[in-house]
Amino acid sequence: MRVAVLLKAVPDLVEELVLDEESGSLQYDEMSYVPSEWDDQALEEALILKEESGAQVTAIAVSTGDVDTMLFTALAKGADHVVKITGDFDASMSNWQQARVLSDYVREQDFDMVLSGVQAIDDVDGQIPGLVAGFLNWPHASVVTEVRMGGDSKVLLRQEYSGGLVAEIEVESPVVIGVQAARKPPRYASVAKVRQVAKSVAIEEVSAGAPAGPAFADIQFVRPVAAGRAEMIEGDVDAVADRIVQILADHNLLRRA
Amino acid sequence: MARDLLMALTIALLLGAAAFFAARMLPLVRVMRRARPTSRLDHWPRRLGFMAGQVLAHKRLLQMKMSGVLHFFIFSGFVILFIDIVDAVGQVFAPGFNIGPALDCVVDIFVALVLIGIVLAVYQRAVLKPERYHGSDERDGYVILGMIAVIMIGIILHESFYPFAAPLLFHVRPGLDPWGFLGYALARVWMATGLAAHPAIAETGYITGYILDIGMVFAFLAYLPTSKHLHIFLAVPSIFLHKTRPHGELVEPLPPEEGMAIRSVADMNWKDVMDLFTCTECGRCQAVCPAHASGQRLSPKMVIIELRDAVRRELAGEPPVPLAGGVVSAEELWACTTCGACQEACPVFIEHVPKIAGLRAALLEDGEIDKSAQKVLVGWDRQGNSFGQPVRKRPAWAKGLDVPIKDARKEPVDWLWFVGDFASYEPRVQNLSRLVARLLQQAGVDFGILYEGEVNSGNDALRMGEYGLFETLAQKNLAMLEKAQFNQIFTTDPHSFNALRNEYRKLGFERPVRHYTQAFLDLIEEGKLNPSPLNLKVTYHDPCYLGRWNRVFDAPRQLLERMGIELVEMPRHGANSFCCGAGGGRIWMEENGVSDRPANIRIREALSLEDVNYFVVACPKDMSMFSAAVQSTNGEERMKVIDVAELLAQAVGLNEPVETAAAT
Repeated sequence: MRVAVLLKAVPDLVEELVLDEESGSLQYDEMSYVPSEWDDQALEEALILKEESGAQVTAIAVSTGDVDTMLFTALAKGADHVVKITGDFDASMSNWQQARVLSDYVREQDFDMVLSGVQAIDDVDGQIPGLVAGFLNWPHASVVTEVRMGGDSKVLLRQEYSGGLVAEIEVESPVVIGVQAARKPPRYASVAKVRQVAKSVAIEEVSAGAPAGPAFADIQFVRPVAAGRAEMIEGDVDAVADRIVQILADHNLLRRA
Repeated sequence: MARDLLMALTIALLLGAAAFFAARMLPLVRVMRRARPTSRLDHWPRRLGFMAGQVLAHKRLLQMKMSGVLHFFIFSGFVILFIDIVDAVGQVFAPGFNIGPALDCVVDIFVALVLIGIVLAVYQRAVLKPERYHGSDERDGYVILGMIAVIMIGIILHESFYPFAAPLLFHVRPGLDPWGFLGYALARVWMATGLAAHPAIAETGYITGYILDIGMVFAFLAYLPTSKHLHIFLAVPSIFLHKTRPHGELVEPLPPEEGMAIRSVADMNWKDVMDLFTCTECGRCQAVCPAHASGQRLSPKMVIIELRDAVRRELAGEPPVPLAGGVVSAEELWACTTCGACQEACPVFIEHVPKIAGLRAALLEDGEIDKSAQKVLVGWDRQGNSFGQPVRKRPAWAKGLDVPIKDARKEPVDWLWFVGDFASYEPRVQNLSRLVARLLQQAGVDFGILYEGEVNSGNDALRMGEYGLFETLAQKNLAMLEKAQFNQIFTTDPHSFNALRNEYRKLGFERPVRHYTQAFLDLIEEGKLNPSPLNLKVTYHDPCYLGRWNRVFDAPRQLLERMGIELVEMPRHGANSFCCGAGGGRIWMEENGVSDRPANIRIREALSLEDVNYFVVACPKDMSMFSAAVQSTNGEERMKVIDVAELLAQAVGLNEPVETAAAT
């Protein structure tokens, strides 16, 4: 069983997103990047699969910036092999393009399963797993919280539904899976181990051309304008109470006996 | 004929016991030889002096009165035992041999003391039953006490029958020796009862006594290697080989290819291995451990015992079990606050904390760590702070000061202030940071900070077993510190203080570092700050990383004195201070198994002091921990947690509207 895990780096939201208000463009070069947390979950689920049933785990990232540490970290956590797809790419690369490049690589290989984060902060509609499945013409399951091996190239999935329902799905491999959460929180990779891996293991680099396909003509980012404000009521208990009564009265919400 | 038999028996027992002892000790020596190196023979005159104080004067042992005294009795008896062996064996091998009345007297005095010691020890074990013995091998303790008692009885027995048996066995006629008063008294009994007159009884009595004495000595020798009482041989060398590198340094500089992780016995250094077999299971470490006191599974004693037993099992041919997470559970390992109270209490100078940190490193390599703590490690790696806050917000606390703080990256300063995470990001401690800045400004100190250039010192990362992250953080700080021009480092955070002072040495950094209590004391001595008396009654909590690990006990106390403050010590203070529970990364971890928080235990200790309304701290983490603890112990009415800097600000007339004194 060979499992591919798709990893991507996303802007670190702890630090500020750098936006050029004039042009409405994100300053991709001025932001710091971290591995997408859903991809971390996908990797963890793949590693659990490896521990359970000896799957071979390959982590793949498109080189939209510095993705080496992310790939070495995947190795340090237990991935067997890592691949970096290089080309004329940068951090502004669209999800569609990334999905195209990733699926082109996966098609050439002999994978039984592709795991990806169900979404990312710059892919809130979860395009990547869906598009990759579409390009490969493989079945696709999304918002998955558990992946297990069944018999005869069957894969068992667990999906959470609203209203407290859980679906158990059996699907024939190959399959693309968008992982919402792994069964366990992602494991830690120590700095020393990542460093040691970086010294001893090489990242396989595969070059790819820029994919042609649909793209936005233009995209502009703006900060949302506050529509209304909450009022903080200050003062002692009496003052606060008076103010609340006043507000209720203003909105005609008081019924006087 | 009987004498020949006794001689043959003595020689056979000696050879048998020695061979058995050697055969059982050799595997331990081999394990130690396979372990990692550590240099423990430097500064030997200093080591000898230290050893004398601990061994002959029982310095640490006497910190627990009864145990110390009874140990001193039994210990000194062992020294005396050698005189008796010479005497007893001499009588057999050289008829008429005599060590003289003075030594006879000394032997009997110490036999009496040892017997008193044994009675006290049995009383302690059977009646007092201190909690610290929980988990120790009690049977072993009684076996050893029994063996010692038998030897003592043997000494007196053969001594008492000697005058009557010697003419028959050795053809000499020694008189009664009143100097050996115990034997003499018993001899009198034999005479009064007429037993002395029977040759068979006299001979049997003597030989029985001799075998109980000398035979048991050899049996003891053979028994020791598998007993916790191996400390009889290992304690003295272990004290001689104690750590002399900076006390606050957790791990020695590591060869680049080796991590600090302890996965197997071979990953420990040879002194670590020796420590395991030196442990006497006395449990003094367990009695002072804050994790143990809070109800968690950790006992430093059990960690040592578990590791030792694992080595024994491996020596017995059993397949090795992973030490971290197997032999010692992850739950035990992550409970440690690295406060060092265990090491401070250990009478044979076992170093528990580096072993625990090494085992944690092994867990960490396998990705096993508390998930909140994991977030902190990732945060340190990405943003350099434990608060998950952006880098650019690190100096945010400094905004709003009347006089801006110099940027030490851009201009030379006299004092470089290493602020630390808590003082930079924690809102309550940020107030304190501003106060410290104003105090420095009032004293006219030329100081600056590194602004966004500072990252966490790495002290706690190291103690969580993350050596690589410690190195990364340290190197980021060192890159800044190397560029900056300053005369000394000043810090409000004991954890940073420890890292800068003790851990950065291995990366080549050696500059003077001072804690703010030391620095403020100097400013007062130099007349740059003039506190007026505050007339308060306070107690002071020694932070582990200031006091125990760096031995700064006096500066904070003198500082309080200079402010006209009366200090009332808690029962546990100075080197015996009781940890707040935050260290070693604990502050970020789940409180699994905690039934009573260390900080709450500590606050109750302070509340037991009469008329004391201020709990003075000198560590930002203490401010967080104890402020929460006074709330959860409902001590807010009685006790106010206050930082030394707040008191100093009051004393020098800097108004600080945020802080007002609790009603006394």
